[in-house]
Amino acid sequence: MNTLSLILKEIAHRKWNALLALLAITAAVALYVGFAMLGAAAERETVILMRDLGYNLRIIPRETDETAFYERGYAVDTIPQEYVRRFAGKQGISYRHLRASLKERIRIGDADVLLVGVTTEVHPAGAKERPMAQAYDVPPGHVVAGFHAARRLGLEDGATVEIAGASFVVDRCLLESGTEEDVTLYGNLDDVQRILGKEGRINEIQALECLCVNPKVDTLDKLRAELIAIMPEAKVIKMRDIAEARQRQRFTTQSHLAVTLDAAIVGCGLWIAVLALLNVRERRCEIGILRALGYGSARIAALFLGKAALLGALGACIGFAAGTLLSLRVGPGIFQVTAQAIVPMYGLLAQAVVVAPVFAAACSVAPTALAVTQDPAHVLRDA
Amino acid sequence: MIRLENVTKTYRTRRGPVNALDNVSIEVARGEFVVVRGPSGCGKSTLLLMIGGMLRPSSGAVLLDDADVYALSQRERNRLRATRVGFVFQMFHLVPYLTVIENVLLPNARAVGRDRALALLEQLGLADRALHRPGELSAGEKQRAALARALIHRPAIVLADEPTGNLDPENAAGVFGHLADYHKSGGTVVVVTHGGDGDVHADRVICLRAGCIEA
Repeated sequence: MNTLSLILKEIAHRKWNALLALLAITAAVALYVGFAMLGAAAERETVILMRDLGYNLRIIPRETDETAFYERGYAVDTIPQEYVRRFAGKQGISYRHLRASLKERIRIGDADVLLVGVTTEVHPAGAKERPMAQAYDVPPGHVVAGFHAARRLGLEDGATVEIAGASFVVDRCLLESGTEEDVTLYGNLDDVQRILGKEGRINEIQALECLCVNPKVDTLDKLRAELIAIMPEAKVIKMRDIAEARQRQRFTTQSHLAVTLDAAIVGCGLWIAVLALLNVRERRCEIGILRALGYGSARIAALFLGKAALLGALGACIGFAAGTLLSLRVGPGIFQVTAQAIVPMYGLLAQAVVVAPVFAAACSVAPTALAVTQDPAHVLRDA
Repeated sequence: MIRLENVTKTYRTRRGPVNALDNVSIEVARGEFVVVRGPSGCGKSTLLLMIGGMLRPSSGAVLLDDADVYALSQRERNRLRATRVGFVFQMFHLVPYLTVIENVLLPNARAVGRDRALALLEQLGLADRALHRPGELSAGEKQRAALARALIHRPAIVLADEPTGNLDPENAAGVFGHLADYHKSGGTVVVVTHGGDGDVHADRVICLRAGCIEA
């Protein structure tokens, strides 16, 4: 009788042991798949939510005086607008979502507003990324009004506003943010440069720091070194609170998922090992008689490891289905911003089908070693 | 055929070493039916397992056809058991999840074939039980199934450890009858027992007491 037949018949005979082992493997795989899917969803959600905290890097002209900069909220000095293009296509740098802007405080009627001209973002890695929430794409001839600026100027969506003799359509009025944005009028960069008489000039590039690096390391030196290489005419200011909050949150999410998953997998592994041990104990006489019939260690080991691997393969398929269904069911309720991105990850099925049998067999190695090394004479003499 | 030369087996226990066999020398000729009789704990099972290559002696040698069994590699001893030795135990030791015929075919199934197994079961009066599991058999039927498993590959030697210990006299007589038939067909049989029920079939009875052969 071949080994596979023996394994299948034994599984059919000791159903509860096999079912419990299958349940453990299924649980391990389902947890792995669920954590992978929900983990990816959590990371996507965190990325979006944390990214919406806003730009955390400000690149300003090198000669800018910090005292005046913080007093005004922008640099008086300017740099050429085309400098921002230097970042385009730069691989492996820590800057993302670069947005050139020209800021200046102006008076419209009896209201002081911060006029900010913006362009579309530049993406160093080359790939098009979803723009930042604050990256207002303002077409020429239009403005986006901050909450207080809109109120003081009596603006509403679709209204027009006169700035330096030119008329602009209000694209939309923003909700109150509790930041400088409330007193800001965003316009197209070309329009604002024309209004301020600074054609082709900008006084700031806002950016987002990439989180590809170790979150425990302060990256400011790295950021500065990268900037000098690309744009020696500028310096970078890191808005540390926003940057670190973002890093910490992402790091916490990833570590939490990793620790929980590891603990769950270890628990399932122990469960499988205990069941395998019970199976070996229950089959001591069987092992003894198989030895007496001339079965070697390899064949005895194959009976136990083969059983574990077979249950592992079955558990991988069931666990993948269970983990996927569970994630598809609960995921969208938890991660509402990125709900549509929660989809089955079929690559995990291939991974599970390979890894789960190896995992189950690895958990059964110690009990199998006991089975192989047990003295058949002792069992047969005493039974 | 079988020769034990000054064999001693010492078990190490918490209360110190125990000699199960003490300087035992036995010879069994090819085609001989030998009964080893003695009380419980006298070393009978130890002797049988040693002959079958399953228990290494502490000293002395076990020879089958002049070959030292324990000088062979583990793989060679496995092969020896699979081809030349058949075991029968008091507790039957049938694999509970296999049918009778599957149990019978466990040793070297490919070599012997299903027809031979069915013929053997017919001979032992178990043809109608071939597809039953051990849990569905009586004690006598279980022992006959175990006997069929021991005989299926036509071993040179059958080693039976208290084969009738759990059987009523009628079934016990039946089992010894089948062993005697096998012996008549040229097989070598060594049976260990504490009773005298196999003596009638034996060419020779060896008495064992406290690990030593009684004169």
